[in-house]
Amino acid sequence: MSARDEILGRVRRGVGKDDFAARRAAAEAGLKTPARGPQPVMAADLVARFKVKAEYLASTVDTVAALAEVPAAVAAYLSANGLSRQAVATPDVGGLNLSAAGLQVEARAAVDADKVGISGSFCAIAETGTLLLLSGPETPATVSLLPETHIALVQVARIVATMEDAFALLRAEHGSLPRAVNFISGPSRTGDIEQTIVLGAHGPCRVHLILVGSGAVAP
Amino acid sequence: MAAVKHSQAMHFHARAGEKVRNAALQRTLQKAKPLFVAKRAKGLASLAEDGLDFELLRSTGKNIRNRTLADLDVWLELFEERATASGAEVLWARDGEEVSKLVVDIARRHGVTKVAKSKSMLSEEARLNEALSAAGIQPVETDLGEYIVQLAGEPPSHIIAPAVHKTIGEVEALFAKEHGRPLETRTSADIPEMAKEARAVLRQHFLSAEMGISGANFLIAETGSAALVTNEGNGRMVTTLPKVHVVITGIEKIVPTLEDFATLMRLLPRSATGQSISNYVSLLTGTKQPGDHDGPEKTIFILVDNGRANLLGSDYQDMLRCIRCGACMNHCPVYFSLGGHAYGWVYPGPMGSVLTPLYTGIENALDLPHASTGCNQCGSVCPVDIPLPTLMHRLREEQNERGLRPWSERLSLNVWAWIAGRPALYRWFARRAARYLNWLADGSGRIRIFGLVPEWTAGRDLPVASGKTFHELYAARKRD
Repeated sequence: MSARDEILGRVRRGVGKDDFAARRAAAEAGLKTPARGPQPVMAADLVARFKVKAEYLASTVDTVAALAEVPAAVAAYLSANGLSRQAVATPDVGGLNLSAAGLQVEARAAVDADKVGISGSFCAIAETGTLLLLSGPETPATVSLLPETHIALVQVARIVATMEDAFALLRAEHGSLPRAVNFISGPSRTGDIEQTIVLGAHGPCRVHLILVGSGAVAP
Repeated sequence: MAAVKHSQAMHFHARAGEKVRNAALQRTLQKAKPLFVAKRAKGLASLAEDGLDFELLRSTGKNIRNRTLADLDVWLELFEERATASGAEVLWARDGEEVSKLVVDIARRHGVTKVAKSKSMLSEEARLNEALSAAGIQPVETDLGEYIVQLAGEPPSHIIAPAVHKTIGEVEALFAKEHGRPLETRTSADIPEMAKEARAVLRQHFLSAEMGISGANFLIAETGSAALVTNEGNGRMVTTLPKVHVVITGIEKIVPTLEDFATLMRLLPRSATGQSISNYVSLLTGTKQPGDHDGPEKTIFILVDNGRANLLGSDYQDMLRCIRCGACMNHCPVYFSLGGHAYGWVYPGPMGSVLTPLYTGIENALDLPHASTGCNQCGSVCPVDIPLPTLMHRLREEQNERGLRPWSERLSLNVWAWIAGRPALYRWFARRAARYLNWLADGSGRIRIFGLVPEWTAGRDLPVASGKTFHELYAARKRD
């Protein structure tokens, strides 16, 4: 007997029910109407909440009114921190005129040598100060992973309250999941040597968020 | 069962003695314990700030896990279908040996010479690193704690903090040797530099490994995805850079929906490290898509039984709810007196004291269900409400029923049970015992050497009460 059949047989005996078809139909029906667990109660201003939580997780946060102001904001952040003006960007933000602000930016997937990565974000979560990035041809996952510095743009209109709201948005706009859905909450960290927290384990050491928009609250 | 021959759980008693006498280990553990406890307390406080009640959340989490286990056959098939439809391959393994065999086969088929591993306790169950090395394939642990214990040639001593037993001096010695540089004197201030050094070394491994191996914190039936929760980002590396990604995970890890996953994510990081969310949470579905610049070309799930299915429908099914947060060991006085290695197999602490006998055979881990003070700290902090002390009691009862305890212990328990079932007799004996103990203490309130059970007074005095029994004191109080 194959391992699969043997294991499933054992599981079936342990479960101890025989109406497989009916139970399967009920399970599938349940998947179509997913129920939420207890939800947090938060102040109405999700943008303010997002900012507080993101900063608590050691991200830095800047705010600009419109996309046109992003290149200058990126340049200002890089010079203030003495960082390279060469960067890799996900193709979806490649349309920003970053060279106008004196930056040399290539739109592609990141490689080990890249020091600064610039990406957009699918949405962001106010509850925990978390970014949600999807993998895809226009949004390679390496840009938010390999460089020491990750700069992410967040449209304030796409700051939602909870992870459940982010999933609702994902189902509405994408249907199925892309290869990787990455929730990112600040720079990478480790506490594995004597329980001392160090920022910059394997992923970025610095995460800088640029909130774009007027502070309107997402639906 | 393959695990048995490698388990050291039968030597718990002897190893416990060694660990108690190891002064450096004791200092490290005493330093770590309050940190773990304070972190979780902070995590729970952050729930309260958002108007979330821990008890309500944990009963919701418990229900999600129970609901899945109640129809696990259905959920496994749904997961398999959806994972396959998304482009992943799903394999099954009866035990650890089969896991290793499958992984080595996959590695050979894809010409793999190096594997970058994200933390996986199941790969410890399978002793996968040994199997890979024996096949000439280099396994590299990339979680910093796992990397440290791999360099030391040791198993992890904690499920979320594998190197919690290591001092900074020990880590420095391992790094100096492995990285080929002179030994330096290190203080806590140097920890960021040491982490940076490991980052640089491991980065090259991420880039050159042809295969990545990870566990999964959860499998999501709705989408056929693996959910991976890490802080260091190594989980993202090993699932993004190598051309093959193998997910090794237990069959019990399924949750039905993304919403169920969101609920459990409010419990898991808070219970583990006190964080409201871990730095990286990834949902991985299928393989590299057309047009994608990164991601594995091949994703393979290995769903592992290794003793889990036998717990379904048994007295121990509650244990399958476990989400591997480590809160039980982080609050356990026994764990923090000994460290994780004393437990002798993969899982330490209260969850290990239940899982080790169940997965490796009750007769092969006789001491573990007794490694408890009965304080129920573990049961009270468990985010999915597993009654750990009750399960340990059940295991003890089973040892007794199967005649696995020493005859003297079984005889005394039977005599005690016989007396305790007869109230008048019980009171008579209790009165005699209380007078006798008081006489031994000679009015000092403590017994320095207790001849009947000398172990009890080997390292401390036995405090005794006034010489009156509880019943006598209670009756006297009622009269007042």
